[in-house]
Amino acid sequence: MTAVVPEWPAGLPAVLADAMTAAAATGGPFGVSRSAALDAAEAFPEQECALLDACGLPRAYVPARLGGVPGGLPELLHALREVARRDVTVAVAHGKTFLGAVSTWVAGTEQQQRALARLLLDENAVVAWGLTERGIGSDLLAGSLTAVRGPDREWRLTGEKWPINNATRGRLISVLARTDPAGGPRGFSLFLVDKSTLAEGTWQPLPKEPTHGIRGADISGLRLSDAPIPADALIGKVGDGLGTVLRALQLTRTVCAALSLGAGEHALRLAHEFAAERALYDTRLLLLPLARRVLGRAAASLALADAAALLGARCAHGLTGEMSAVSAAVKAGVPWIVQQTIDDLAELLGARGFLTAHHADGMFQKLERDHRIVAVFDGSTAVNRSLLISQFPLLAKLIRTGTYDAAGLAATTGETPLPELEPAALRLVSRTGCSVVQAVPEAAARIAALAGAGSVPPRAAALAVLLSEQTVALARDMAELPPSARNAPAAAFAVARRFEACFAGAAALHLLVAPGGTESAVALTAALERCMELLVPGHRPPSDAYEPLVPPLARPVEEPVR
Amino acid sequence: MSDITDRPDTADAEELREWLRGCVAEYVRRPAEDIDTDLPLSEYGLDSVYVLSLCADIEDRYGIEVEPTLLWDHPAIGPLADALTPLLAGR
Amino acid sequence: MTLVDPADSASTAPHTDAIDRLEALFGDAGDPASPVGRDAVLAADTHGTMLSAGEDLLDAFGLNAHFVPQALGGRFTGPQELIGVMRAVYRRDPCLGLGYGAGSFMAAVNVWTSGSTEQRTWLAAHLLSEGRVACAYHELAHGNDFARAELTALPGPDGRLRINGRKEVVANLDRAGAMVLFARTNGAPGSRSHSQLLLEPDRLPPGSVTRLPRFGTVGMRGVPLGGIEFTDCPVPADAVVGTSGHGLETAQRSFQLTRIALPGMSVGLLDTALRTALRGALGRRLYGCTAADLSLSRTVLAEAFADLLLADAFITVAARAAHTATGQCTVYASAVKLLVPALLMAAVHRLSELLGSQFYLRAGEQPLFQKLQRDVLPSAFGHASRVSCQSALLPQLPLTARRTWSADDGPVLPTATFRPAEPLPPLDFGSLALTAGGRDPLSRSLLQGADRRTGEDEAIAARASEYAAEVRSLAAAAACLTPDQLGPGAPPHAFDLTTRWAGVHAAAACLGLWWERPSGGQGLGNDPAWVLAALHRLGAHTGRHHDPLPEPLTGVLCTELLRRHDAGLTFDHACRPTGA
Repeated sequence: MTAVVPEWPAGLPAVLADAMTAAAATGGPFGVSRSAALDAAEAFPEQECALLDACGLPRAYVPARLGGVPGGLPELLHALREVARRDVTVAVAHGKTFLGAVSTWVAGTEQQQRALARLLLDENAVVAWGLTERGIGSDLLAGSLTAVRGPDREWRLTGEKWPINNATRGRLISVLARTDPAGGPRGFSLFLVDKSTLAEGTWQPLPKEPTHGIRGADISGLRLSDAPIPADALIGKVGDGLGTVLRALQLTRTVCAALSLGAGEHALRLAHEFAAERALYDTRLLLLPLARRVLGRAAASLALADAAALLGARCAHGLTGEMSAVSAAVKAGVPWIVQQTIDDLAELLGARGFLTAHHADGMFQKLERDHRIVAVFDGSTAVNRSLLISQFPLLAKLIRTGTYDAAGLAATTGETPLPELEPAALRLVSRTGCSVVQAVPEAAARIAALAGAGSVPPRAAALAVLLSEQTVALARDMAELPPSARNAPAAAFAVARRFEACFAGAAALHLLVAPGGTESAVALTAALERCMELLVPGHRPPSDAYEPLVPPLARPVEEPVR
Repeated sequence: MSDITDRPDTADAEELREWLRGCVAEYVRRPAEDIDTDLPLSEYGLDSVYVLSLCADIEDRYGIEVEPTLLWDHPAIGPLADALTPLLAGR
Repeated sequence: MTLVDPADSASTAPHTDAIDRLEALFGDAGDPASPVGRDAVLAADTHGTMLSAGEDLLDAFGLNAHFVPQALGGRFTGPQELIGVMRAVYRRDPCLGLGYGAGSFMAAVNVWTSGSTEQRTWLAAHLLSEGRVACAYHELAHGNDFARAELTALPGPDGRLRINGRKEVVANLDRAGAMVLFARTNGAPGSRSHSQLLLEPDRLPPGSVTRLPRFGTVGMRGVPLGGIEFTDCPVPADAVVGTSGHGLETAQRSFQLTRIALPGMSVGLLDTALRTALRGALGRRLYGCTAADLSLSRTVLAEAFADLLLADAFITVAARAAHTATGQCTVYASAVKLLVPALLMAAVHRLSELLGSQFYLRAGEQPLFQKLQRDVLPSAFGHASRVSCQSALLPQLPLTARRTWSADDGPVLPTATFRPAEPLPPLDFGSLALTAGGRDPLSRSLLQGADRRTGEDEAIAARASEYAAEVRSLAAAAACLTPDQLGPGAPPHAFDLTTRWAGVHAAAACLGLWWERPSGGQGLGNDPAWVLAALHRLGAHTGRHHDPLPEPLTGVLCTELLRRHDAGLTFDHACRPTGA
């Protein structure tokens, strides 16, 4: 779809795109029939990952100052999305290294960071992230893998991490371990375990788990039995594990949006190709207004998800302290928006989307299964909505007062240069709320001015006013909810979903007022329209709202269709 | 939730303790007198992530900045109030 | 769990006995030693095969008799009883439901509706001796758009028909002893150019027929979905079912029954998905309690339960209206197929959230769930897609507005329609009509009920008034439709009206069941909570609101859900023992 301004960094993503396209064209990695065969055989995409290594994708996992790509989190997100739009399984399989490494960027010493960066850049080391355990789900404090410090200051780790992506393939694994038998938020510490240095007999991979989607991925586990771990494998201080993990998750959850964006684009591409080719009623499916609305609405949904993800990733640099809210809104909201889109497109494809071989090598049913993992791992949608709910009182107050971090927002929206990501600035709870949402009325006023000057469609200004009203209503409903602990009522989750939609809409709004944003005015206006559909029951977009996002038939219908 | 306007000028440990108790009671929807100030908040279902939101309440009421992990280091109301009192005195 | 022993059970309706007998044969799905238990069902799915022990069991049970009209020696009396029996099969294994039974029934209704006496007698005997019938309509290039089917059966010089072309993704093509083949029998465009042929595949000249390999599918993996290619295959002219050239009409008339029956059967899939998710949530400990104790989980569970009750209510009324308003069945069948499959799919997907990452693990704690999530997919496009149902309804809207909604009064459905325990007039296949002629007695029942029953439960009366207003609003909008807005190229907002119409029918069904409930009845059927919850969910599914199910409805439904789970009872209105 149309690029937005500020634009996604294109350096590494463009290199990847060219290499994957070229390889697929010659029957190599990323060819669709190969992708289908790997999925059917539940085989790991070795060659695909090797190609990504050769293109330097690991550079996207490393901070710029340690030799990584210059574009930071937005460039990583865009790079992984380029992979995901071809094969979500490969993006999950390769991208996991970022998830495994990020705790070290957040809490490691300079020396630890340099050592890990070297392993990633020079050896393409695979890093896994061992958080969860059997039967505990997202309840990390229930973890029982234990680390005990010996007299020699070495640690001994005992227990299991399961199910873990790349637990078997990974050379390294970041492990959250219980260091205080009593547990609690100060009872856990983080270790970067290098399996290649572990003594034989002290560790054992657990078998690969068969999964619903991402069937080729290495979803397995690791068992440690009194495994000796050197003192310098401890990341952060003893007892800091949970805090480190929660801050690291703010980055990884934002990056997860790449998987959804890629899967959504893939689905839209397949549906569009089908609609262009499908003959019926003496015309083509693509020319029927109802099908055009499905395709146009899907494109608008993706433009909305795209705006939320791009601005979310930029927030990590410009509004780092607000990532507790931003990452939860992105991780819950983007997969939610994209899953609905995929479901709608599945209906358009009908039986074609159900076949594993006879249409487009079964790519649709594969991406549909693959995508369902996104709402599950790295904190499920419910977990992220709970995180938003826990921040409602402050968010509600700040939306009402309209205060926001103007300098941070200016950097985030591209008015001032985007600083490098400073992981130390990540906070467990945002103190300044979520500036992207809090600044909606301000942005709406600027849109009105732009519309008055004829630089954006008048509809954009009308939608901006509606979004502004919706954020006010949202703040009211957030404030009215009784504060709740973990067991929040379903009504609170429904409000959280509205927050996510408001965040996405606000992102589209800010991108529209940003310098150069008017060039993407059509896509962003459609994104705002879609946002209103998600927020307001019975919202009726103008009949041509999504029409500009549907590309016409490449060629007119030539042959008379029987 | 408390608003900036009702911020108290002074705060003694007892007032702080009672206010925290009220907050927790509201979060877990139980009467304040049921909340034992010496029991870890996790006993009331306020887990490590949820206690973080208490932080914002404290900041708003007393106009100070609190490291969210303060509630991890002092996971019951009594010890938390004790830890907060010197911070409040230093405002 | 205790299953009702068929020998001891009180004599109620005959189909009730049959369901109990079938459930008793299936036994406890959780028994790891059972050849038709969950483990066996999953193993068959993994191997992509039918559950053969299940097929043997259904042979022994005599399932096929339920596809054959009573007059022809079978036990079919109408869609309601068939749905009841098949739902038990779908609860156990949707592949068994589709692969053993539903496909044969879809083919057979063509013959019951339009076949000659010889054809009907022959097919009845074939089915009653455990034969299968393949329903060979589908061509990948045209999906459910039957009118564009390309396979031809044109007269050859010897007077026999010559078949050329292929059918794809059709259940049991490789093993059915009979086949109903939908073919173009006339090159001319229009609606009188197709016919059904009743064929015995084994008797076709060997060189003229090629079986295509199974089409790989992501769900229903066990069902043999095959294909067939004909090359100048000669068949006798009397293979044509009914009047030659009337095939589209036969399809549109007879498939009204299957458009109601298939979603009705699929409710069994949701029943087991709900049971599986609930079992998972009860067994999953999170933050010191079970996942089923969390408010959000309770809401998801209660909503899925209400979805199921809503679907069942709508299907029950539509199935009974096939007897009491046969001429209008076309509208109710399309409305059911438009609304219910989407609702079932959404409910199954939503339930996956309860299992967290467990739903994604094929060897996890509830491995059945991911199978159900794949098996539910064809309900959206199988047989008739939502768009094809909308397309069937749209042209009937303006006339309905003129003939039914502009008048102050009009015929309502007989009250027996809303009283599931009462006998129904026999189903007359011949009265199934292509259009409803602008008559919609179900919506009139709603309007009348909303007028007369306002004194009853206040909240229900309020909902009834809302839906009565919705009828009037729909009437106004339908009256504005111009002829160019009724075809496939109609604007989306015109198609949206058909969804609202189906919503009105679903609401009318729920309210009708409520208003005609047996006096002095007990249980959920007598609690306004089910109607209010079902209508709340209907509002969510049709975009009227985005709100979660409120208390106290959630509480009432959760309590009942757990009770039925613990007692091994189904979650539909029948609330009968099940081992699923």
